[in-house]
Amino acid sequence: MSETAGEGRYIYSVVKADIESNLGDVGIENSNVYLVPNRDIAAVVHSCVAEPYTTHDDEKAKEWVLEHSYVIDCATNRFGTVLPISFDVIVAGDDDVVKDWLEDNYDFLKDELERVKDKAEYSVLIFCDEGQMADRIVSGNPELLKLKENIETMPKGTAYLYRRKFELKTKKELSEQVFKLAKDFSAEIRELVDSIKIEKKVSLVPEKYRGKMLVAALTCLVHHDRVEVLGNLLEEIDKREGLSVRFTGPWAPFSFVQLKDT
Amino acid sequence: MGAVQLRPAQGYLKMKPERDDYGLVDILDRLLNKGVILNADLIITVAGIPLVGLSLKAALASIETMLDYGMLEAWDRETREWYKKQFEESNVPLMRDEMARYTTFGYIWYSQGMISSWRPGFWYITNKRLLLWRRMPYDTLFEAPLENIGKISVRKMNEFGWEREEINLQFQDEIARIRVSNLVEFEGAIRKAMRDPEIEIARS
Repeated sequence: MSETAGEGRYIYSVVKADIESNLGDVGIENSNVYLVPNRDIAAVVHSCVAEPYTTHDDEKAKEWVLEHSYVIDCATNRFGTVLPISFDVIVAGDDDVVKDWLEDNYDFLKDELERVKDKAEYSVLIFCDEGQMADRIVSGNPELLKLKENIETMPKGTAYLYRRKFELKTKKELSEQVFKLAKDFSAEIRELVDSIKIEKKVSLVPEKYRGKMLVAALTCLVHHDRVEVLGNLLEEIDKREGLSVRFTGPWAPFSFVQLKDT
Repeated sequence: MGAVQLRPAQGYLKMKPERDDYGLVDILDRLLNKGVILNADLIITVAGIPLVGLSLKAALASIETMLDYGMLEAWDRETREWYKKQFEESNVPLMRDEMARYTTFGYIWYSQGMISSWRPGFWYITNKRLLLWRRMPYDTLFEAPLENIGKISVRKMNEFGWEREEINLQFQDEIARIRVSNLVEFEGAIRKAMRDPEIEIARS
């Protein structure tokens, strides 16, 4: 088949499957989603014109992204862990172009599929209550305790300066403590998971955790058999005074697959 | 379509990973900022470049503000409901004491005037009818009482250089052209239902 001008394939994910198969009209805007297989791997696609999905309407855009996510979930359910593709990635060309791409990158894709087999991505956010933690630090630190007591008997002007000093010192101790906690938790969690990433930026702080201090944001690739142990560890952390954990998943391994340009 | 559940966790978990709110923001973040990106020469677009990516990123940036006004909750709830709806059992318009015996995704050839195309939907073989139903936009694209179905045959058709098999079904002096992935099973299921509408049809 020759490439028809203007024809495109929207790519949702790459899965382990060696047969042609139709997933139904589950795609973006009810597109018919099907597999384009090459050897024992396949791309999950829908046929479209080779133009990006664009809109100024946030609702619409959100719907598209959720539809994409839904297809990833369906494919995961059917074929096991998938390699998820970013939103709005469209190959210019027909099924044969997709097949060629699968063939050109076969070794990489196959290896990645093997690597994430029976695993899923989980997100772990650990928060602490800053006030509670600060109180604990002060009560366990003789120097800070003494400073605090002295401030109460000082004249106003002097007290102000010392209060600043007290606050700065407490803050420093607090950040050291949080840093240590983050290091310890990450190390403990690392033992239980296949891969771990420390996130520098968190796009969401749910309402429940507003006003709390983020201790660690980790994204983990976890074997299905290990999720339970991870849950147990997180439960223990969550029970500790002043700490709370947000544990979400399973997600397709978005954070653990990267395809470099060839 | 049944409920989709990702890898149900085994046994009792002390702390269970949640996807209670279907983590809208988690989904946005992952689909827009992460995941495999194809080789540059093949891609015509990547999230982040087109407008949709930008507007969604703006939405992400404004979440803090939305939280302050309690908007996210409403926004999230809406999305959650939309998402749930997609999982819900399709409410195919069945008659009273009509029961679906066999369902499969497929197409019917639609031709009227200038327009002709394969129209997709779900084929339902019930104890009374054969129908092709589409969830969105909601429509019954074809229906025939079992007793009115005439001759059924499988034909090889040549289309754009591809040879594909389809089912031809005689109904009211017309031929309905049907495509499904498992032609043999589908044909067998219709024949079974026509012979004995009350029989259970097993799927391979």
